[in-house]
Amino acid sequence: MKKAFSLLLASVLMLTILAACGGKDKEEVKPSDNGNTTPTTEATDNKGGEEIKGKIVFLTQRTDMIGKEFKEYKKRFEEKYPGVEIQFEGVLDYEKTSKVRIASGKFPDVILIGPGIANSEFPKYFAPLDDIQFSGDIRFKDLKAFEGKMYGVSSGNSTVGIVYNKKAFAKAGITAIPKTLDEFYAAAQKLKDAGIIPLASNFKDKWPLDTWVYDVPTMIGGASDHQNKRAETDTPYTMDGVYGQSWSILRTLHEKDLLEKDINSSNWEKSKKDVAQGKFGMYLLGNWVINQVIENGAASEDIGFFPFPADNSGSLKAPLNPDWFYAVNKDGNVPAAKAFVKWMVEESGYEDFAGFIPTLTTKESKLPQLAEFNSYNPQFIELGASNDLATSIQNDAQIDQSKFLQEFVLVKDPQTVLDKLNKQWAKAKSKVAK
Amino acid sequence: MLSRLPFETQKRIIIVSFIALPLLLLLTFSYYPALELIRLSFTNWDGMSQEKDWIGFANYREVFTNPEIFGVFKHNIAYFVVGIVQNIAAIYFAIVLNGKLKGRYFFRLLLFLPYILNGVAVAYLFGYVFDTTDGSLNFLLGKLGLGGETSWLGSESFVNYTLASIGFWRFMGFNMVIYLAALQSIPADLYEAASIDGANNWQKFRFITVPNIYKIIELNLFLTVTGALEVFDLPFVLTNGGPAGASETFVMKIIETAFQFNDYGLASAMSVVLLIAVVVVLSIQRYFLNRGRD
Repeated sequence: MKKAFSLLLASVLMLTILAACGGKDKEEVKPSDNGNTTPTTEATDNKGGEEIKGKIVFLTQRTDMIGKEFKEYKKRFEEKYPGVEIQFEGVLDYEKTSKVRIASGKFPDVILIGPGIANSEFPKYFAPLDDIQFSGDIRFKDLKAFEGKMYGVSSGNSTVGIVYNKKAFAKAGITAIPKTLDEFYAAAQKLKDAGIIPLASNFKDKWPLDTWVYDVPTMIGGASDHQNKRAETDTPYTMDGVYGQSWSILRTLHEKDLLEKDINSSNWEKSKKDVAQGKFGMYLLGNWVINQVIENGAASEDIGFFPFPADNSGSLKAPLNPDWFYAVNKDGNVPAAKAFVKWMVEESGYEDFAGFIPTLTTKESKLPQLAEFNSYNPQFIELGASNDLATSIQNDAQIDQSKFLQEFVLVKDPQTVLDKLNKQWAKAKSKVAK
Repeated sequence: MLSRLPFETQKRIIIVSFIALPLLLLLTFSYYPALELIRLSFTNWDGMSQEKDWIGFANYREVFTNPEIFGVFKHNIAYFVVGIVQNIAAIYFAIVLNGKLKGRYFFRLLLFLPYILNGVAVAYLFGYVFDTTDGSLNFLLGKLGLGGETSWLGSESFVNYTLASIGFWRFMGFNMVIYLAALQSIPADLYEAASIDGANNWQKFRFITVPNIYKIIELNLFLTVTGALEVFDLPFVLTNGGPAGASETFVMKIIETAFQFNDYGLASAMSVVLLIAVVVVLSIQRYFLNRGRD
């Protein structure tokens, strides 16, 4: 008994020590990794003959693709560039993890960047990507740029509109796609009368409401810079402004009972199945959700996608938003990493798999729903670069816009919510601006 | 080799070497980060940049003057209230199951089991129970004719009590086991003597049981209070702080401040304030419980 115990203790100790060693080993591998890449960096210096070889690591957020699609990507990429070894490293909670690793200065050669990093920080960490020769024009060239140099290439783009179940629409007797807001309310009412829940808002989960904060205001105002423009005023949230109008639509839908029965008890995973089965009629979300609905049991031909008519003007608008951007570590294996970024954008087929609008303007999406969406001829509005001032005011004021939207929909008098929001905004603005 | 040294030295070597490892682990993974946290709370670090400017007590001033930050503490009241009920129930079950009840081991196990389940799993489980349209609780109430339309997690007035009741279900068994252990350490002859003197059950409870488990009640209240101040997993998974922030807790606020608003300095200050709040509440509790004793 005593022996068994000491054995156990010893093994626990060993494990602890081993674990500690493991961490250290990993640390030590890194510099030697950099050592490997020194020759290639030298090769970069003598312009013209960039040698593409060595090892690169891509830090991805798509953990579900590791060992599946990425395995195949690896094969195809390494066939095209013999001498390069690509490794896919997946992390969950990408935004947080990647931020910490970027800040430490030691991060994989190819990394994805989102809105969390200020553009002025780019030269500190990333290599400029202007010299990648794409076969055509690319979207969002200027979004992740600083002082005229581009540091990020969009990995895919999405738009926002109504994803709907065609069978549910047929059952409710809706023959034509609504082109104005009133027609939209009427269609939703028809769905409700047919016993279908018209629009899945996923109110409780908060993040699905982002479309009402970012995209619907873009459609209403016809410009994508409404978030930046907030920095110019003390009262950015007004009832007749883009936010008030957008949020009022959701409030109206709620008042008319056109959302889930209890919006505070929505269930995101289940809603995908319900849309697939036609129990829910529509989503107002990005096109990325289409593939997920199909994965949950809908036939692809039953799911459609049309631009959301945010007003009664009859002209349809749609925002165009980038997903993550590829960025290259300036201290890593830059030539091979650039080759990989080019390959991902042009040849991998990742956008079609993920349901994105391709970054190359010359490339057409293979998704039939996007073709349907385009057939309504919406005017696309590209997202512009974000304004650091507006972001820092928002952070200082600790404004979580989706949370205020929730309150806006739930309270008796929505004006009080806007007043509170503006007060917080103005206070933070005077503090940040000084 | 060791055996040639004098016994006292041997003893010392053994003690030092055994104590060094845990101390080292404690210092590196507990005390060093805590000190770093306090240091960060005086800076305006955004989580990314190399510069951390020293800004003195500005973060602390912000925590105490901004009602948006400090106000969420009132959501924790529900957890206190339910926590006290939970302790009373735990004592009750401990006494019942300490007696000669048939199948008492089975019941003890049954009540203790929820504690073993992972917190997030429990949250998901209750997500299905409290769902308004398809939840099992509303289904049951509907069948009983009590109206099955209650939005358990969507009413600002009682969402915190709904969440706290899950905590009750989860931690009551744990408290009960602690009380049970304390009850079993009370010598039986005390009760015997009291019976001979003609004491009834209430008097036995009041004058023998309670004084003997007093320290344990204090311990359990300590656990309940810290638990109530630091709730996080249940609202995070079940309501995401909703509806409209009514079930947001202080810890959720800290996480939001750090990772959404990129204000690590303020978030660190909030963590330190939480630590101080726990100490203050506990001191008050100790003061009241120990008044008129030793």
